Amino acid sequence: MKICQVERPLVSTNRIPGFEHKHLLVVRDGSALQVAVDAVGCVPGDWVICVGSSAAREAAGSKEYPSDLTIVGIIDRWPPEPDATDVGSRDSG
Amino acid sequence: MEIRQVVGSLVCTQRNPGLGHWDLRVLQDLKGRQYVATDPVDARPGDWVFVVSGSAARYAMGDASILTDLTIGGVIDHWEWEQAAAVQPDATLSAKAA
Repeated sequence: MKICQVERPLVSTNRIPGFEHKHLLVVRDGSALQVAVDAVGCVPGDWVICVGSSAAREAAGSKEYPSDLTIVGIIDRWPPEPDATDVGSRDSG
Repeated sequence: MEIRQVVGSLVCTQRNPGLGHWDLRVLQDLKGRQYVATDPVDARPGDWVFVVSGSAARYAMGDASILTDLTIGGVIDHWEWEQAAAVQPDATLSAKAA
């Protein structure tokens, strides 16, 4: 699993039917940007846990779902650096 | 999934039957590395797309028997990279084929 930070939503109208209408998010893993399926409902700035490989497919809903990166959890507290801004700003949880 | 830009199409007549007759696209990342992906969404040169890799690429084709490890999952509606796009939206395949 990877720790990533949610950057922003990704809008893709012309997508394969297998993705259904699930939300896609751009997440940052270090310096690299990746796209993940949002299975939990997170917002930009959240630190999240992402799973890959076949676990990503099952975590997104079914074994046939074509995801290779799925967000499976929002990290309550994760201080990567002392002055991180957006951490802890969520009310719910 | 990764974010890539479509460079052009790739013609490959003599191919493994496991690839079917699916369109192949040449993709590029910001570092200029090139990749080939199966394309079920009819992406155009210059389009920014997200790609599915690994075994999920086969499910993304809608048929897990297709022998691919990289499939275009969808075209991104709006994408502005921090750097200039490598390919202009109007780029033609013939211009890239030389």
